[in-house]
Amino acid sequence: MNDMIISLENLTIGYDANAVLTGLSLQIRRGSFTALLGANGSGKSTLLKTLLGLIPPLQGRITMEPVNGRPLNFGFVPQQGDFDPVYLLSGFEVALMGVYGRIGAGRFVPSAEKEFVRECLHATGAEAFAKRRFSELSGGQKQRVLIARALATRPDALLLDEPTAGVDTAATQAVMNMISRIHHEHRFTVILVTHDLHLVREYAELVIWLHQGEARIGTVVELLNPQHLAEIMEMEFR
Amino acid sequence: METLRTIFDPDFLLRYAVYTNLLVGLGCPLVGVFLVLRRLIFMGVALPQISSTGVAVALSLPLWLGWGHGAHQGEREHAFAIIGSVVASVLAILVLAFLERRHRGLSEGRLGTAYAVATAISILLLSKNAIAELGWLDLLKGEIIAISGVDLTATLATFCLVLATLWIFHKEMLLVSFDRTMAVTLRKNVVVWDLVLYLLIGLTVSSAVLSVGPLVAFGFLVIPVLTARVLAANMRQFFVFSSLIGGATALVGFCIAYRFDFPVGPTDVALSGVVYAAVFTTKRVFVLFASRNHAGREPVAANGLSHH
Repeated sequence: MNDMIISLENLTIGYDANAVLTGLSLQIRRGSFTALLGANGSGKSTLLKTLLGLIPPLQGRITMEPVNGRPLNFGFVPQQGDFDPVYLLSGFEVALMGVYGRIGAGRFVPSAEKEFVRECLHATGAEAFAKRRFSELSGGQKQRVLIARALATRPDALLLDEPTAGVDTAATQAVMNMISRIHHEHRFTVILVTHDLHLVREYAELVIWLHQGEARIGTVVELLNPQHLAEIMEMEFR
Repeated sequence: METLRTIFDPDFLLRYAVYTNLLVGLGCPLVGVFLVLRRLIFMGVALPQISSTGVAVALSLPLWLGWGHGAHQGEREHAFAIIGSVVASVLAILVLAFLERRHRGLSEGRLGTAYAVATAISILLLSKNAIAELGWLDLLKGEIIAISGVDLTATLATFCLVLATLWIFHKEMLLVSFDRTMAVTLRKNVVVWDLVLYLLIGLTVSSAVLSVGPLVAFGFLVIPVLTARVLAANMRQFFVFSSLIGGATALVGFCIAYRFDFPVGPTDVALSGVVYAAVFTTKRVFVLFASRNHAGREPVAANGLSHH
């Protein structure tokens, strides 16, 4: 079995023919924990959206290795602030959306799938508040529900877009520990978008640092050593 | 009660108007829920007006084409009106929703302009068509009287189609509305689901505009939904309450209009507004009272401090 799950070759990405990142080539290993770092507007979200298939690449090639002959399944965890509180959905109903990909249009959700969603909520520690309205949960609680929803998709890779944005320190630690535990238990490939260097140092294996349309790629030890950090910070604030 | 008995009498002259008004009251809020969820309330104002412009264009066509008065003129006009209304509603919602997605220009400005221009065009067209003007002005004012059996059947068919589609595909519609990105990652065809939803909204709006006019259509698309939002605890209740509040308002509105000789449409809409204001105020008072009561009953610790 190929050890690489995602390969990017000379990739140029952006919107409406305006390139945000150019010449990006990298490979992401199956079961690895990769952090995507960079300042606001550096192209982190654009890269994430391109990987998810939401926007097409402007140039280059993305290769996703099939798993057991089927296309790669992404479990996407958006930022908890992305959701409109006008929806009267409970945490359970939000998490239940994770199984919709396996259920045909017009079909009702079987009880076995509902049970699986309860297990996912249990795994992320969200079971206790899953019946409460999603919009009324705290930031950390919403993230747990959203991670449970991503797990409910039975993913091959988890893509997390700043999962600790707007979450307090204690909840950040709890959410990250939970992601790390799930990563180790299930050997999912994890791609985490974050601003938090501390989190990257603690949890990630590979780091992709995006800056001014280019990417630096390396391990935490290679990229987050004081010398490189000083260089990168200087570039960021230049 | 006597009024209610009268309007439900099988021989009541305006029985088709009662049933159609009731169906519009029950059906419009069902698609109106999605306008509120997708923050497209202003589209609920513009769409019925654009739909009525479609009718005005369709009614003016025979005049422009030089077709004289014939034996089947009434039927032909009716068919033209239906086509004009449906085409205008569906095209308008597709274009407006596309521009909304592409974030082109100011949303409110776009919808406001569409509303004003559509109203102006309707009036201009109808001012040059004396025959169409008579019946159409009644609709614009919300005079729901001249409703035929065909109108009632068409409204009933639309209501059944909307109800069945929303019942069967509520899961997909909700997912695409709530989290589009997630829907794409689950390989749902979001464009198709958007299209299905917009077609349902367009069809409902045009059916309502043809039978009860743009004012009532807009009133029932939005106001019962906002009222239900105050009362509902979950999405199922949100849909059911919206429809029931719309239906009840339509029925009571008709009774009041019949009893006091008011035009039905404005009575329905004014009553919806009163119900919304009453429900909203009662809920606020209830919440305030409950929170004060809760604070008053909060257990006090031995040191005299509350647990908070």
